[in-house]
Amino acid sequence: MNVHNKDVPARNVQVLGIDAGGTMTDTFFVDADGDFVVGKAQSTPQNEAIGLINSSVDGLAAWGISLDDALKQLQTGVYSGTAMLNRVVQRKGLKCGLIVNQGLEDFHRMGRAIQAYLGYAYEDRIHLNTHRYDPPLVPRHLTRGVVERVDMFGTVVIPLREESALKAAQELIDQDVEGIVISLLHSYRNPAHERRVRDIVLEAVKKSGKNIPVFASADYYPVRKETHRTNTTILEGYAAEPSRQTLKKISDSFKEHGTKFDFRVMATHGGTISWKAKELARTIVSGPIGGVIGAKYLGEVLGYKNIACSDIGGTSFDVALITQGELTIKNDPDMARLVLSLPLVAMDSVGAGAGSFIRLDPYTKAIKLGPDSAGYRVGVCWADSGIETVSISDCHVVLGYLNPDNFLGGAIKLDRDRAVAAIKAQVADPLGLSVEDAAAGVIELLDSDLRDYLRSMISGKGYSPASFVCFSYGGAGPVHTYGYTEGLGFEDVIVPAWAAGFSAFGCAAADFEYRYDKSLDINLPPDAPDSDREAASKTLQQAWEELRENVLEEFRLNGYAADQVTLTPGFRMQYRGQLNDLEIESPLPAVATTEDWNQLVDAFNDTYGRVYAASARSPELGYSVTGAIMRGSVPIPKPKIPKEPEHGPTPPEEAFLGTRKFYRKKRWVDAQLYRMEALLPGNRITGPAIIESDATTFVVPDGFETWLDGHRLFHLKEV
Amino acid sequence: MNVNVRKDALAGAARGIVRGGETLKQHRDRLMDATKSSGHYAGLKGLELRDTQPILYNKLFSRLRAGVVDARETAKKIAASPIVEQEGELCFTLYNAAGDSILTSTGIIIHVGTMGAAIKYMIENGWEQNPGVADKDIFCNNDALIGNVHPCDIHTIVPIFWEGELIGWVGGVTHVIDTGSVGPGSMSTGQVQRFGDGYSITCRKIGANDTLFRDWLHESQRMVRTTRYWVLDERTRVAGCHMIRKLVEEVIAEEGIENYWKFAYEAVEHGRQGLQNRIKAMTIPGKYRQVGFVDVPYDHPDVRVPSDFAKVNTIMHTPSEITIRGDGTWRLDFDGSSRWGWHTYNAHAVSFTSGIWVMMTQTLIPSEMINDGAAYGTEFRLPKGTWMNPDDRRVAFSYAWHFLVSSWTSLWRGLSRSYFGRGYLEEVNSGNANTSNWLQGGGFNQYDEIHAVNSFESAAEGTGASAVKDGLDHAAAIWNPEGDMGDMEIWELAEPLVYLGRKIKTNSAGYGKYRGGCGFESLRMVWNAKDWTMFFMGNGHITSDWGLMGGYPAASGYRFAAHKTNIKALIEEGKPLPLGGDTDPENPEWDGLLPAAQIKRDKQAITTEEMFADYDLYLNYLRGGPGFGDPLDRETARIQEDLDGGYLLPRFAERVYGVVLQHEGGRHVIDEDATVARRLEIRKERLAKSEPVSDWLAREREKIVAKQAETQVQQMFAASFKLSPKFLGDFKTFWKLPADWDLREEDLDIPSYGANYSMDVSELPDVTTVKFVDE
Repeated sequence: MNVHNKDVPARNVQVLGIDAGGTMTDTFFVDADGDFVVGKAQSTPQNEAIGLINSSVDGLAAWGISLDDALKQLQTGVYSGTAMLNRVVQRKGLKCGLIVNQGLEDFHRMGRAIQAYLGYAYEDRIHLNTHRYDPPLVPRHLTRGVVERVDMFGTVVIPLREESALKAAQELIDQDVEGIVISLLHSYRNPAHERRVRDIVLEAVKKSGKNIPVFASADYYPVRKETHRTNTTILEGYAAEPSRQTLKKISDSFKEHGTKFDFRVMATHGGTISWKAKELARTIVSGPIGGVIGAKYLGEVLGYKNIACSDIGGTSFDVALITQGELTIKNDPDMARLVLSLPLVAMDSVGAGAGSFIRLDPYTKAIKLGPDSAGYRVGVCWADSGIETVSISDCHVVLGYLNPDNFLGGAIKLDRDRAVAAIKAQVADPLGLSVEDAAAGVIELLDSDLRDYLRSMISGKGYSPASFVCFSYGGAGPVHTYGYTEGLGFEDVIVPAWAAGFSAFGCAAADFEYRYDKSLDINLPPDAPDSDREAASKTLQQAWEELRENVLEEFRLNGYAADQVTLTPGFRMQYRGQLNDLEIESPLPAVATTEDWNQLVDAFNDTYGRVYAASARSPELGYSVTGAIMRGSVPIPKPKIPKEPEHGPTPPEEAFLGTRKFYRKKRWVDAQLYRMEALLPGNRITGPAIIESDATTFVVPDGFETWLDGHRLFHLKEV
Repeated sequence: MNVNVRKDALAGAARGIVRGGETLKQHRDRLMDATKSSGHYAGLKGLELRDTQPILYNKLFSRLRAGVVDARETAKKIAASPIVEQEGELCFTLYNAAGDSILTSTGIIIHVGTMGAAIKYMIENGWEQNPGVADKDIFCNNDALIGNVHPCDIHTIVPIFWEGELIGWVGGVTHVIDTGSVGPGSMSTGQVQRFGDGYSITCRKIGANDTLFRDWLHESQRMVRTTRYWVLDERTRVAGCHMIRKLVEEVIAEEGIENYWKFAYEAVEHGRQGLQNRIKAMTIPGKYRQVGFVDVPYDHPDVRVPSDFAKVNTIMHTPSEITIRGDGTWRLDFDGSSRWGWHTYNAHAVSFTSGIWVMMTQTLIPSEMINDGAAYGTEFRLPKGTWMNPDDRRVAFSYAWHFLVSSWTSLWRGLSRSYFGRGYLEEVNSGNANTSNWLQGGGFNQYDEIHAVNSFESAAEGTGASAVKDGLDHAAAIWNPEGDMGDMEIWELAEPLVYLGRKIKTNSAGYGKYRGGCGFESLRMVWNAKDWTMFFMGNGHITSDWGLMGGYPAASGYRFAAHKTNIKALIEEGKPLPLGGDTDPENPEWDGLLPAAQIKRDKQAITTEEMFADYDLYLNYLRGGPGFGDPLDRETARIQEDLDGGYLLPRFAERVYGVVLQHEGGRHVIDEDATVARRLEIRKERLAKSEPVSDWLAREREKIVAKQAETQVQQMFAASFKLSPKFLGDFKTFWKLPADWDLREEDLDIPSYGANYSMDVSELPDVTTVKFVDE
């Protein structure tokens, strides 16, 4: 799936993107011309650097460049990996202590009951006996309380009793904890007590002669909802610190090979941050975000403002929206069955992908897709898989979507007859359908689910698909692109020829961006006098300035001066009394006056009416600003988008691979087969056709047409 | 055969609004006649669409269901009320033209039935003619006399039209925080008749052209204390209904009205068949009998009610008999249940049966195919005049849940015995917790506004143990399996009460080989409130759940409140403060810290409005769940974990679990060898204490003949006997009582007001009530 220019004598390797998964480590090198190459190697969890080096060597071999030569040229590198997430899921983090309010020591181990069914499908959410809690990140015996209370206005109810803080610190230090997390109620509003406790703990740690990092929630995630805030702050000590060590090791070992930069890491807010960043827990997210960033970058370069990003892998369908060139951010997301307070690129997942199992409910005969899947074992069609339940891939094989002899470049052979027999017995006969119609029906059902999902996400943001370009990528994305976009009326549907490597591409294209958030409680009645509006503007401005300092400090750590940083302020607003706010990018770079405030309110009302319904607007309640946001970024080198000259509409002869029987809409047709890599920009293909490459298959059924543009992007159209 | 439209038959006649020209009443009558005569919903013996186009059928289901779920998730963000936004106390449901539900979102799905009952009430009472049902109308209902659970569940109902004809309805419900009843809070206790329950709305048309009427907006906000919650809750419901209406219109535009129409009826029959198949697969035919109780302790100074006839201590009683037949049909009979009473714990038949249906979706039919089909697949008998099918229009409903939850917990036991017999050990559940306490009250809050509070921490009670593992701690409530206790920082926004404690409630779980889940407790200090009141609502004298197969029930409730605490001075002087949990109520720690305080610590777990001032304390204790199996069979390692984790008090580990403990460095450690010996000993003691059942029965019989029982027990039986001669007959036969033995309320020295005279709402002029159960 590599995209080459013909003869490039002196290659200048510029960008390295890394996707370190649990089993495989992918590297993605981009040169100054925008050419790229992908390397693969087995992951080495005990020392990730080894797997990375191996993967790099593998990738660079295709270019005939030695590792040291390439790394000397590299301008920048971005890491994303699943190690931190796995550490949390497997509860293999550091031994942390937790200090909370005395009397409330149980709240972390209690969790929120919602964590007992987070990530469950509809059926299991209502099925009580399936609910379960995961163990707390910090056990109760490593939790201590301090006597103090601050109320929701930030007023002190019980002054801090410092001796209780000292006692808590000493007991935890005596138990040899590897980190101490402090989270007191309403510390986002008045951090004085929490910071005093922090200083007492730091002092006690110092005295003990031990080296224990201390994390106060107000210094990291000063936002309301203690379970979210505490979970997230614990992740800093529990999971992020070990990752910091790993990243340092990787950075060092690459430096030994000649790199001259610090690795950046993909973060939840969609930018990349340094491994030295204070808030490293936000790098817990990885893979799927990369594709969204890649789509955003492509959009910026090619001029698409509204993009629906869709990514189908073996187990899930992930959708994210870019509106007006901006990512959608969720502020209290959940991950690894924990509620968190991180800004996270909003990405919704349906537990249905190419490997999803298909079953009939034994009681209602309803067709069920997933939520479990065959994963790398494909389906019944692979004799060695040991799988007996039919999967979506089995349907693809039966219907001629996939080439049974060229799955993963022929790495495994699929047996169509096995798939036919299994679908007949498990789905077709019980429903009274032919095997073809049953398999086609299942695909239609999956496509329809995905299509509805896309549609509801877009309409949930107050838009119509007509104003969106849909990007489809991921290994299995292009197989379904036609199915889940049909009839939605997207402005354009785009399948990058490098669909399977798109996430790694996205990582390499991510901005170097920090984002800081702060809770605020600015409340104005609808008839607030101008003086109050002005005061509100000033309070917000003050918060922006505080956050600005945090952002600039992070960049300073990485050697960037303030004047190199582009700052983007934002705020969160709601109608007074509501519990959910909306994130709005500020229409003004700074605010100070009544008129400024009114502009903020107008921006909010516009968005609210779009997201919910015009009838849900409630300006008569007045407005609250609940949070200030500051984002800052600096320019970094990014991969270039390939640009090749366009040829004629007719594909070159060497691209044509023959025909295959293909079933859709109750009839068999002969689909034209093409080799994706051999197609030239400008080529136009009318369905039924199937465009194959080792890593993905792009299906163009009858009624559709696609053409390849100079950026090696396929455009799919209904004709 | 399908639910055909009758274009020809009705041509020329005065057309009704339903697709094809029937009136709503004609349409529903036709469906119900066909259902009755065929045994299949709407007479649908075959499912034409599903059988000929299974893919399309599944697509319709999946798309509509996803849309309804999505509407709930989106719309709830409009709300200001934490019980809607944080606890998810809302639900949206799609109905066919006859008011039978096709599919629903998650949430408080009991209202699938109650909103359907409201639609059917409009159909049966000629709403089509007056006030008229038109496209873009908006209706509101909260009337518990026609099926709602209690007045604080407000329904918004919107008809769906296609090309000028009605093709269905969508309903949205939220649990509002206040309905302007006698006391603040949504489930208040002070009133004894429904006139004190607060604002009552009977299927009123409140808007047209998608716009709410101004008189409605003005009147409704005057009727409640918490107007902002009220307004935003209503916008939540309306927005959700409109999203779903739009979805249906889009689906029809794409798939055709004919297919949608077939789907709207076949889905219900499909749901009915689904239940029948599950019953066949999961249970064993036969009769399952069980019983539930709860206390109504009103003869107490802290229960301030307006009427002296209500000042009695009574016990509510619900025996039940589940009959499962070989073909997977079943019947649930509640003969012998108590009469309705002068309190707020009465329930309409629809809320009782819909709630059972909710329970079934958590255990027997947890599939996406849940709709009114299950209701048509279940025969209910609820005798008229009982607390769950009252025959008097004065009865109050505001906390119907008090006994609903305790009645249903017994059904878990019945079903679980059946699951156990079939080997579905994972599905066994010893029962649900009593979903209390309800912290409620009101006054002026921290923002100096008139306010009411209604903490929903009760959405996270302990759950019942299964036959393979412990119940979940602080996890769920029978009325919403997606339980959550919420963040303290959010409750403190909504309530002028700061947390001084949130702790797992030690010893609250029922003991057993597998213990129930523990509940938790929150200690709240009044802060920044003015003219403030609060009250308690929960079980106290009676454990309202039971254990299963040797497991114990969960601990019962109690109350703790403290006034004039002097905590202000304790804070200033740096003295010890009451913080955390009331870990061992028999050996209380807080009381000693507050020597001058007026402390209320007793089993009076139901009270009415009581004044509270800043620095007063209120303990919100959320109950645990019942246990499974003999505690002597519990692995000692699990008991050690319970001790170390603070789930169990050491003396109960010894007394109930038969372990022998040693003290090691402030920790109680189980002595394994001594425990083996001690457990053997206990088994011997049990045998020594035992006697033949026949001896025990004979002794009990003598007490019955002599009427040796507490007044409350006698009143409970007397009320049941009066309503059901069959129950009296069965009782006498079982105990071999003399023919002239009888027990009558009039003979007891307590008021029996309401025992002899009643008048049902159906007796009002021009009212047709809809009968949903065998009475």
